[in-house]
Amino acid sequence: MAEHRQLSTWHNGHLSCARDLHRTPAELRQDPPKPAAKVHFKKTHIVASRTNPKLSNRNLRVAVIGGGPAGGSAAETLAKGGVETFIIERKLDNCKPCSGAIPICMVGEFDLPLDIIDRKVTKMKMISPSNVTVDIGRTLKPHEYIGMVRREILDAYLRDRAADNGAKVINGLFLKMDMPKGQNAPYLLHYTEYTGTKGGIGEKKTLEVDAVIGADGANSKVAKSINAGDYECALAFQERIRIPDEKMAYYENLAEVYVGADVSPDFYGWVFPKCNHVAVGTGTVTHKGDIKKLQLATRNRAKDKILGGQIIRVEAHPIPEHPRPRRLSGRVALVGDAAGYVTKCSGEGIYFAAKSGRMCAEAIVEGSENGKRMVDESDLRKYLEKWDKAYWPTYKVLDVLQKVFYRSNPAREAFVEMCADEYVQKMTFDSYFYKKVVPGNPLDDLKLAFNTIGSLVRANALKREMEKLSS
Amino acid sequence: MSISMALFSAPASFSPCTSHSQTPKPLFNLRPKRPQFNLLIAASGDSGGAAVAVSVTEEQPMAEAANGSVAAAPAPIAEEEKEAEVVLNTFKDPRWVNGTWELKQFEKDGKTNWDAVIDAEARRRKWLQDNPESSSNENPVVFHTSIIPWWAWMKRYHLPEAELLNGRAAMIGFFMAYLVDSLTGAGLVDQMGNFFCKSLLFVAVVGVLLIRKNEDIESVKKLIEETTLYDKQWQASWLDENKKD
Repeated sequence: MAEHRQLSTWHNGHLSCARDLHRTPAELRQDPPKPAAKVHFKKTHIVASRTNPKLSNRNLRVAVIGGGPAGGSAAETLAKGGVETFIIERKLDNCKPCSGAIPICMVGEFDLPLDIIDRKVTKMKMISPSNVTVDIGRTLKPHEYIGMVRREILDAYLRDRAADNGAKVINGLFLKMDMPKGQNAPYLLHYTEYTGTKGGIGEKKTLEVDAVIGADGANSKVAKSINAGDYECALAFQERIRIPDEKMAYYENLAEVYVGADVSPDFYGWVFPKCNHVAVGTGTVTHKGDIKKLQLATRNRAKDKILGGQIIRVEAHPIPEHPRPRRLSGRVALVGDAAGYVTKCSGEGIYFAAKSGRMCAEAIVEGSENGKRMVDESDLRKYLEKWDKAYWPTYKVLDVLQKVFYRSNPAREAFVEMCADEYVQKMTFDSYFYKKVVPGNPLDDLKLAFNTIGSLVRANALKREMEKLSS
Repeated sequence: MSISMALFSAPASFSPCTSHSQTPKPLFNLRPKRPQFNLLIAASGDSGGAAVAVSVTEEQPMAEAANGSVAAAPAPIAEEEKEAEVVLNTFKDPRWVNGTWELKQFEKDGKTNWDAVIDAEARRRKWLQDNPESSSNENPVVFHTSIIPWWAWMKRYHLPEAELLNGRAAMIGFFMAYLVDSLTGAGLVDQMGNFFCKSLLFVAVVGVLLIRKNEDIESVKKLIEETTLYDKQWQASWLDENKKD
């Protein structure tokens, strides 16, 4: 029924992308609450290596800085676990420049209602530097799709759900934090609270908490406060373009990925459909100064399909390339983009942000025995351990793919050629949708290895021919 | 972050609120190579006389059209290009049919001339590298390099290099065997029986395979560093813990 409702609102074409979309959780949550088959955290049966002191006449207080997917899911898990939770978010209707693509496992794991998904992408086109076009998505089962969401809606939903569970949402800007004066002393957070008045300066306030989760994104202030160190960022640049309806029909449930040195020297260009327009963009780590040229090249490659469109918005944002040197210090932990959990090759971050927020919160709830005890760094370190163990293979595989296939135009040609193979499509989508690196049939893997090497060799041979031509 | 977004919205050329339609303006600078390219096709195309005539007559209207005016479609153009107004900057070749190379047109004495196919594809990719084109739905490119059989690739690229390397190895091997024999008295059979010699041989073979030029040493070192960099970045958080305790 929820699905039917989504379809009808879509066909009316009245889906507005207005930023101030305030929907109550009741409206958003169409499905009846699932029976507790999915328990979000293990019941505590830990034995702490050193006993944390019991808190007298209060629960553990934790502040979550940043109210995006990481902050929202962390706060929800904390609040459900009996911890006194505060979310400090500076912009409650923040419309983030993001593809907004989420895998289906996120819908299941986070109980997302189907009507926050604007579009279900089931087909993708990979386009090589010489415009060889490959359709991928033939192997998808009917229930599998890539969900396209509007970030402001997803973020608000997760935050509101946390608030429903008891978290306190503060609309404010985190400024800095004072380190604790003693072993179990609290952290003192300084922030500016925005009252309702638009353009108001806001009041300076402080908040005492026992632990902090930094979920404030790529320019994280929490990371600065704990000297977490810097990381390399890619610059993602995107233009939202409203194109004529007949061209929009082509992108109904299709997304395009363009690879090529003209489009990006170390990443890819994309055309992703959104609610009633497309987002055309590109990104790079090493050539940030050339981003406008790269964007022009991307638009040129998609020219036929976006001709007659109007640019309605231009946006850009840094995307972390790898984790920070320190993701944890004392009782402060980083999650999501602030920690640097964005995959290489595909640049996916939403699912990992939400999952890391949840894992960190689970570790705090466990370590504090549902908010009754103080936590310390070793409890938070358990989250890092669990995270690295669960997702390290995924990150490493994507890193290898990026290193092999994004190095040069011949490599990109080989990459697109390999995508035509059904086995590759199945493996890629399975690992994207379910976030597990599953080794397939060894014989097929061997064949895949041969085909990959073959494609790379042929593409490089052609490159040598091309170089002979230019001399 | 809102400040950075404002910065990006401000620049004049990309103002979000104008009704800025996607005109192909930037593309008209990509002119100079085209007439030369058509000559190239005419000169080395395998397809025979008819195509040559086509290419040559094409050259003139293209050159005119390069100045911005649209050519009234010249009669000899028999290809199925639909975008008549912007026909100027697309890749065209009589043997490129429906987004792939038509192998029938490459036949010589009843057999496909694979070398010509490889040449044609290299030219196409070079063309597109210099003049990037929009991908189109009506004329999708479906070419796959595997239609050219593996032995054609081997014959053209692997075998000449293999011959060179094996020749060099044989010469050096013979000379070294002679030298070692004269210095130590161990003949070829005795040399190969020794473990040290066997391992030297192994190192020599691997070295020749990986290091062809002096620059390769640097690139191998960089490659090793690259493969482990990501792991190091992930483990950075754990180095902290060990240091503290």
